[in-house]
Amino acid sequence: MNRLTQLRALIRLDLRLFLSDRRALIMLFVVPIGIASFMGSLFGGSGTKNGKSGAAGGGGGMDLVLVDEDDSAVSRGVVQSFASDANFHVQVTNSTVAKDWVMTGKRPVAVLLPKGFGADVLPGLFDSKRTPELTVWHDPGRSMERAMVEGILVPKVIQSVVANAVNPELGREQIRKGLARLDARAAAGTNASGDKLLRELMTRADDFLASRPAGSLLQSSGTNSGPASLPLPFKTQSVPLTKSRGGEYNGYAHSFAGMGIQFVLMSLLDMSIGLLRDREAGMFRRLRSAPLTRATWMLGKVGSFTLISLGSLVGCFAFAMAVFGVRIEGSIAGFVGCLICVSLMAACLALAIAAVGGTPAGTRGAGIAVLLLLVMIGGAWVPTFVFPRWLQSVSLMTPTRWGVDGLDAMTWRGLGFDAALAPIGALLGFSVLLAGIAWLRFRWDDE
Amino acid sequence: MNAPILSATGLVRRFGERVAVDGFQLEVKRGEAVGLLGPNGAGKTTTISMLAGLMKPDAGVVRIDGVSFEGEGDPRKQWVGLVPQELALYGEISAMENLRFFGALQGLTGSKLATRCGEVLEIVGLSSRAGDRVKTFSGGMKRRLNLAAALVHDPELLLLDEPTVGVDPQSRNAIFDNIESLRRAGKTLIYTTHYMEEVERLCDRVVIMDHGRVIADDSLAGLRQRASSAGRLTLELSAAAATDARWLDAVRSLDGILGAELTGSTLVLEAREVHSGAARALDCLAAHGVRVTGLASHQARLEDVFLQLTGRSLRDG
Ligand SMILES: Nc1ncnc2c1ncn2[C@@H]1O[C@H](COP(=O)(O)OP(=O)(O)OP(=O)(O)O)[C@@H](O)[C@H]1O
Ligand SMILES: [Mg+2]
Repeated sequence: MNRLTQLRALIRLDLRLFLSDRRALIMLFVVPIGIASFMGSLFGGSGTKNGKSGAAGGGGGMDLVLVDEDDSAVSRGVVQSFASDANFHVQVTNSTVAKDWVMTGKRPVAVLLPKGFGADVLPGLFDSKRTPELTVWHDPGRSMERAMVEGILVPKVIQSVVANAVNPELGREQIRKGLARLDARAAAGTNASGDKLLRELMTRADDFLASRPAGSLLQSSGTNSGPASLPLPFKTQSVPLTKSRGGEYNGYAHSFAGMGIQFVLMSLLDMSIGLLRDREAGMFRRLRSAPLTRATWMLGKVGSFTLISLGSLVGCFAFAMAVFGVRIEGSIAGFVGCLICVSLMAACLALAIAAVGGTPAGTRGAGIAVLLLLVMIGGAWVPTFVFPRWLQSVSLMTPTRWGVDGLDAMTWRGLGFDAALAPIGALLGFSVLLAGIAWLRFRWDDE
Repeated sequence: MNAPILSATGLVRRFGERVAVDGFQLEVKRGEAVGLLGPNGAGKTTTISMLAGLMKPDAGVVRIDGVSFEGEGDPRKQWVGLVPQELALYGEISAMENLRFFGALQGLTGSKLATRCGEVLEIVGLSSRAGDRVKTFSGGMKRRLNLAAALVHDPELLLLDEPTVGVDPQSRNAIFDNIESLRRAGKTLIYTTHYMEEVERLCDRVVIMDHGRVIADDSLAGLRQRASSAGRLTLELSAAAATDARWLDAVRSLDGILGAELTGSTLVLEAREVHSGAARALDCLAAHGVRVTGLASHQARLEDVFLQLTGRSLRDG
């Protein structure tokens, strides 16, 4: 018997049925993309790196409102520092509007830089009466954002103050003022004995400062310019322990992997339930009247389900790449391998659930519960690294965890092919196990 | 050459405690058309399943052209075309796509497949709807496609399990025409139904089964022979007799009377033999003082033979 002809017919039929089912198409393409976009924006969006490619309406960065009533070099430096930080989406306005936005929940946090802030901030270090006060208005429900802004305000203010204190322009202005005073004394004939030497010194100093580009006093490499880019006396480096080649956590990369897998599983479960319904409707009697073996039939199902899943995941990631700037920072071969193995695993899982469930009604309820659990514990909703440790270990026993981890590793974590081997191996192992369950438990006759 | 295309011996099939088929026996020659009749639950579908190789019998052997199927993938299954009792079609795709799929499962490819799909659509008169989704079809059209799907691979032996169930008279006629032309083309048919008229029209041989057993296996002529002496008596009684029917049990217990039914003042008797039955019944009624105002008798139909054999009518199970 021509097994290949049969196999091709089985797979083509499923693809055809799938494409004619508008609900299934929406479930596999529209819904996961919508939900993943939403979840991605909730959980961190794209990292600083990809912030620029965020969607219109501020895809990347947290909303922050700044009110600059001081308009000094220091306060402008703070504003500029926030503005150039891709973690923030900054809007500058007046205090009335800012308070209104925060009060009505349109923006989470606003910071007021009061009049005199720039002038007082340095003396304030030595005289507590002059210490200026920054006001942070915040939505009471958004204390995470408030804490983040308050935390980051400190280095940004210090940066701006230091930069302005050692700004060569400011230094030269002091020198010009000094020289003018010397000129005035000379004109009035009241010059002191050391004036000549002083003039000499100041002129030399001025020449020196004039030869330095702005902001370069403390930064000899001088690649950046502008007062706000002066380094802190210490450096911070965020270490998302897994980082190797350059990945930063990307909420979109993660949510598209997670939601992609979730909806693939849901849809494939739906299709497996369709098989059970076909069986109840007597369709299998016709199939089995042909010289078709159960093995060919099951291979056809695994094949078509895997292809449908692949199509959906590729669609989701293509969207995430085009719109949210998600990139495969790691191995492309590893990414493709993970996609294929995730799809295979999903196909086998759906068939196994239907095989164990037995009837359409029984499978639907229990199947959805099982899937949600796997998807949740597997870290498809929120990344597993926020889980308590015991749950992280538990989640290693779910195939979904390996799927999400593998895709994460190849996208935002930017790991090499070797990092895909464990997920691929685990996913293949789960596939074999689940296919075995499906093979042993799926009844395809009427007995 | 004249080996039976189908032979089944001693088929037994149980579902738990229930014996669905109990020693079924059948031999069918090439080109024969056999009607398989039986009330609900008689075991017809179960038998067909075993004949088609869908179900392993608990005992007994099925041979198609002298050999038994070996496993699910046995290529000899292509000899058989099964028209399942249920509508086994994919509603979301077109009639043509359905046929192409089922044809491919039977191993047809390329132009052979395309030609056959076109031919069978022509046979069942659905060519003009080839590209339409099956779910937009009427019930009768679906039934016709259900038949077509069993014909794509041009099988020698057709197993038809109630192919006209739930169909309007017009579609039923169309399906009959199709089946008759298949007969003329020399195909062997096994046709399962509750309707004696269908068997009378399509088949030259009748197998009646009940409780999983064959209780009659005869040519149509032979069955008619059996029926010839059996018959029905219709008696009109006086109104007084009808209101007080204590005599009815006496009539029922008469020798040769198989059944007695009183509706208003009309008494209908089933008699194993019309003339002696009439004489006995009239005597009995006279003895109970019942006045008979009219009498009609009529020859049994095949349906009555069925009743006689099984003690129940074909369609009330
Ligand atoms: N899958 C099954 N599981 C349990 N019992 C079954 C199964 N299939 C059939 N039976 C039983 O076997 C007996 C014969 O059923 P079958 O379907 O063969 O009857 P049938 O003659 O085709 O009836 P109908 O005219 O209603 O189609 C019935 O008592 C039925 O309940
Ligand atoms: Mg039946």
